[in-house]
Amino acid sequence: MLRKEQNDLLTLTGPGTPMGRMFRSYWLPALLSDQLPENDCAPVRVKLLSERLIAFRDSEGRYGLMDEFCAHRGVSLWFGRNEACGLRCSYHGWKYDVTGQCVEVPSEPDASGFAKKIRLRSYPLVERGGVLWAYMGDAAAPPPLPEWEFATVPRSQTFASKRWQESNWLQAMEGGIDSSHVSWLHRGDLDSDPLFKGARGNQYNLSDARPVFEVVESPGGLYIGARRNAEGGQYYWRITQWVMPSFTMIAPRGTHAVHGHFWIPIDDENCWAWSYDYHPVRDLAPAELSAMRDGKGIHVRYVPGTFRPLANKDNDYLIDRAAQKAGRSFSGVEGIAMQDASLQESMGPIVDRTKENLVSTDNGIIMARHRLLRALKAFTDKGVVPPGVDPEHQKVRSAAIVLPPDVPFTDGARDVLIARPAVAPASV
Amino acid sequence: MQTESARMTSAAEARFRVQAPNSLPRAIVVIALDAAAADVVAKLAADQWRHATFYTAGPAGALHDLTGAPRRLDDAIAAADLVVLVAGPGGLAPAAAAVGRACSDRRVTTTAFLVGASTAPPPELSKTLAQLRPWSLMVVISEHDEYIGDMMAALRA
Repeated sequence: MLRKEQNDLLTLTGPGTPMGRMFRSYWLPALLSDQLPENDCAPVRVKLLSERLIAFRDSEGRYGLMDEFCAHRGVSLWFGRNEACGLRCSYHGWKYDVTGQCVEVPSEPDASGFAKKIRLRSYPLVERGGVLWAYMGDAAAPPPLPEWEFATVPRSQTFASKRWQESNWLQAMEGGIDSSHVSWLHRGDLDSDPLFKGARGNQYNLSDARPVFEVVESPGGLYIGARRNAEGGQYYWRITQWVMPSFTMIAPRGTHAVHGHFWIPIDDENCWAWSYDYHPVRDLAPAELSAMRDGKGIHVRYVPGTFRPLANKDNDYLIDRAAQKAGRSFSGVEGIAMQDASLQESMGPIVDRTKENLVSTDNGIIMARHRLLRALKAFTDKGVVPPGVDPEHQKVRSAAIVLPPDVPFTDGARDVLIARPAVAPASV
Repeated sequence: MQTESARMTSAAEARFRVQAPNSLPRAIVVIALDAAAADVVAKLAADQWRHATFYTAGPAGALHDLTGAPRRLDDAIAAADLVVLVAGPGGLAPAAAAVGRACSDRRVTTTAFLVGASTAPPPELSKTLAQLRPWSLMVVISEHDEYIGDMMAALRA
């Protein structure tokens, strides 16, 4: 349970809100690189943290992210012409470079210098690992560039997708650290999904549906360990990483790719669910890439030409009551991502946490909120840089590992919870 | 025409959610298993709680309330919905098994909370974990002891 003022503090991320200011401390995934595939390609509308922006790639390959609307009459620059190192408004020809600086006002004499007085708010946008990252905070103090392992391995080893989720970011993110729902909502997918099936660890999952959880603070967020019985009195651990404010990495399975998410606010009632799959030491196989593009694993199939899931609230998520009744699907919704999203969207745009009844196994969620609120207070009161900004907090891995019964998993798995180039992940 | 899911997940529809209480109060029992935990629990008990009671446990599981008066373990947990076991690293937490077994017999859920974990050497942490894990559905290791208060508030204690 959260009090209303706590819920508002965590869920509202527009300009000027405390959480919005803290989110603006980070490099945030804003677009897939493929959305701006070539120089002078069409601009793309972007809405992040309740700000309407336009992204474009100029004639020299520089990326720009700025106020969507022309400073002249408020026309959307989505209609603009991307040409000769700038985005030109289609209405009266005002032109802007990637920094938002107006460089041409055709109706005014060049000598007047009027264009120099016009500048749209803009944010840096950089490419890493197939993702374009935006920094929307204090321009004078940008953080180091993102170092998430999925974004730093060779492109042949990584795949990222994004989908529009019609709910507040926090209820979506909390689903990512709610380990206890997996045995219910996603039962059946472990054995059938091509990106999960075949791992020895799956048998531990299926033979012990009541894992015991341990939640431990990490430098950047939390380690959430789910413990099941293994052979010889040992424990099989699945350790999920949560790094502030909204990055998760799920424990791997066998030799499959490692995967996880970012949840990034579009506005207070919508978010982007970013999903990545990567392998630290090998290329992704064509069959894996094909499955990811086909919406398997944690990815989805789309309404063509959009990032909206094909199964969405406008078609009741294509719920299959017969499959639900027959036990082929626990909720009747197909696919792990939409099983989660359908339920999280059903909570309403921003769930009222004053009415919830959390239980002991929700400690991952409770502690994540605790850490966010604590970081928010330190950030707001004293300007303390929040956890997760430091690249060392980003160089993490999840792990699946078998350990003796008395070993703290943070000790027994210490080395494998850190990303090390060319070292395989700990996986069972 | 809008689907039911589209219509019912709007902000406008959220106004019509039933506002009646949807749960009864839960009784939470907090038991300090060693001296380090007793300090934390004493501070915690000074806050305003509606549905929480606090004890310290002796080595064999004998309980005392915070005034020092003895209490029977079975009586203390009889009506509990959740028992929070609090222990410090390196302490032997000898009462963990006695309290844990009593909770297990009565099907009372247990959560273990390790205090002072941020500065504890792994062997000491290990020693305590080995005693708590068999009896805990959830183990929490926080850098900040005040987390236990946030946890209890979240659980409506």
